[in-house]
Amino acid sequence: MSISNSSQNISVNYSINWFFRKVITTIADLRLAILLLLIIAFFSISGTVIEQNQPINYYQENYPESPALFGFLTWQVLLAIGLNHVYTTWWYLSILVLFGSSLIACTFRRQLPALKAAKIWSFYEESRQFNKLALSAEVTTQSLDNINSIITQKGYQVYQNDHSLYAQKGISGRIGPIIVHIGMILVLLGAIWGAFTGFFAQEMIASGETFTIQNFLEAGKFSNLNHAQSFDIKVNNFWIKYTPDGAVDQFYSDLSVVNKTGEELERKTIFVNQPLRYNGITFYQTNWSISGVKIQLNNSTICQLPMVELTSERKGRIWGTWIPTKPDLSEGISLITKDLQGTMFLYDMEGKLISAVRPNMPVEVNGITLKVLDLIGSTGLQIKSDPGVPLVYLGFALLMIGVVMGYVSFSQIWALQEGDRYFIGGKTNRAQVAFEKEVYQILEQL
Amino acid sequence: MNLVNLQNTLDNISFAVLFITMLCYWVGTAFPNLTFLPKIGTTGMVIANLAVATLLIARWIEAGYFPLSNLYESLFFLTWGITAVHLIAENMSNSRLVGVVTSPVAMGITAFAALSLPPEMQHSEPLVPALKSNWLMMHVSVMMFSYSALMVGSLMAIAFLILTQGKEIQLRGSSVGTGAYRNVKKLSLNYKTESVILDIDNSSGNTAVLTKPTTEVISLTPEKLSLIDTLDNISYRIIGLGFPLLTIGIISGGVWANEAWGSYWSWDPKETWALITWLVFAAYLHARITKGWQGKKPAILAASGFVVVWVCYLGVNLLGKGLHSYGWFF
Repeated sequence: MSISNSSQNISVNYSINWFFRKVITTIADLRLAILLLLIIAFFSISGTVIEQNQPINYYQENYPESPALFGFLTWQVLLAIGLNHVYTTWWYLSILVLFGSSLIACTFRRQLPALKAAKIWSFYEESRQFNKLALSAEVTTQSLDNINSIITQKGYQVYQNDHSLYAQKGISGRIGPIIVHIGMILVLLGAIWGAFTGFFAQEMIASGETFTIQNFLEAGKFSNLNHAQSFDIKVNNFWIKYTPDGAVDQFYSDLSVVNKTGEELERKTIFVNQPLRYNGITFYQTNWSISGVKIQLNNSTICQLPMVELTSERKGRIWGTWIPTKPDLSEGISLITKDLQGTMFLYDMEGKLISAVRPNMPVEVNGITLKVLDLIGSTGLQIKSDPGVPLVYLGFALLMIGVVMGYVSFSQIWALQEGDRYFIGGKTNRAQVAFEKEVYQILEQL
Repeated sequence: MNLVNLQNTLDNISFAVLFITMLCYWVGTAFPNLTFLPKIGTTGMVIANLAVATLLIARWIEAGYFPLSNLYESLFFLTWGITAVHLIAENMSNSRLVGVVTSPVAMGITAFAALSLPPEMQHSEPLVPALKSNWLMMHVSVMMFSYSALMVGSLMAIAFLILTQGKEIQLRGSSVGTGAYRNVKKLSLNYKTESVILDIDNSSGNTAVLTKPTTEVISLTPEKLSLIDTLDNISYRIIGLGFPLLTIGIISGGVWANEAWGSYWSWDPKETWALITWLVFAAYLHARITKGWQGKKPAILAASGFVVVWVCYLGVNLLGKGLHSYGWFF
């Protein structure tokens, strides 16, 4: 019993072992890697053709049940497969994970052995070894030293014994792709780490107000939101700089980080391309709006009325408010503006234009003096924390270094002295044409 | 001289020069004994390259920022890149065939930019706030130069496919390293070819098992690369040049986006297509080191890469969204 058991165990172990080897060999297979690259490319296309992350009725309208697109792509099918959010579906992410495994397997099964092989070189001992090299020749020269000095000049690292010579150049061409693969793996890991620990929020804050980050749109499973709420942000001021012809030049927000007792910890004026960073959280200038208007009726106290955005479309945004001109609110006027440049339009109850006003310019309406003092803008901030970024950036750096190194061609040259006969030959892995030129130059010099 | 007039003259000149260049290359290939024609072609490419460079510099001076803000400027930048990479490729390969495929593309782009684009799209426009950054120059110029290199490289792959159409080919210029070996059958030495193991690492001395030759070694001379070998290899080298540029361009875009908006990747269509381009050419580079895939299979991948680069560069504009849109006219 026990004997047959253990032999069964061995055979089970053996087959598990065999299975793992088989799996790793398959994953490390180049053809699988190429297939994966093309599959990822193919599925990525779908996300650029089909609008992503739209409300359901968008898909219902554009992908009706009959006639179904291509005969099958109804909105139900589309939503079931997840084509409305391709890049976050389980199958897309699974392919990416498989791709990552392939990268790792490939590094260990192919690249490192290839690098090792490049380092274990050997002298040629027999002239027939040169026959198989396309770029090889029998040459007349005085000595191996002569060959040595010529190829040393060409930048080769030369090893020589009494009758044979080996030289190589461009080992970085062998190391580069390994660094690229490591970089890719780091980028993938950094992205996963960031997805689990980061968050993303948006706030629209009127000039002069203080806020705590609250409107989280995305937050990873392990993100520390308490940390993000442990301080407040005060918008000291928001303004827009316009070019002379009225186009937006730049948006600016003067922000202060304050602690819960109101003490200022940091202050910076941010604009597009110039965010504020505090404790791993970054505040970006991304949007703007008009939140209110300060007015004065006759000589009463200054009051502030909220402004509402009247159009939802991005082009031609308009804000407006209603200003009562009688204490019982039975009569009033509408104030409309389209930007923070200061020109506002007043309309009466019938919708007729009364006049255009600018700040601090008094107007007589319905028997009272209206003075618009100021328009109050609000800043649209995007708030983001992504702890995966350092890892991703490291991956980026390695990718860039590796990919440049990988352009270099790895070249090897052998030479052999057999009595008074001299043989020379070489090969390279990438730049065949340039290497051929180089070999001919060497042959000419001999 | 008025800069605006200079620009209008230059774009038409570059179109005319490239048109003549194309004819020279084509006629020169049809009648190989007219050796002066390809030489005129090369000169034409140089002139066009300089004319486009002057055009872009004039715009730079006029607008005060790097001239890559709209479709017109970017098309000319692309032409400049293609003519520059063409000259590199022609010099590397020493083959006038390169111009046969690159000149019509360069000519087509200038024709489109100078003649088809409505005048209001030819003016330089002020930059939107999001693009006011030093990253613009770095990111966009590297991307455009990588497009040029990838286009020229894949055009050469297309030329390679046309030349080898319907033929069995035996290539030396493969990047596995097998390319470095002689065509053993041709060298009538009695080797058992099957026993020569040619693998990636090819530390040839140890892995190749050879039976003893029965004939004595005849005096060895190097074997020259054939025309299609050269074409194949230079196509590979040019794509090999474009690929690092594409990588650096995409990464610089990612870093810029992260500095400006807080996300290095947001799956916007242009980004995604840049990734697709990257993946297709990565597949090409890997196909070249796959055993038994030398020659046509990688070349087909590279040739399809030509379409992918164009979709990435222009096709995405048709969606007309996002910061990457140059605008369109229908």
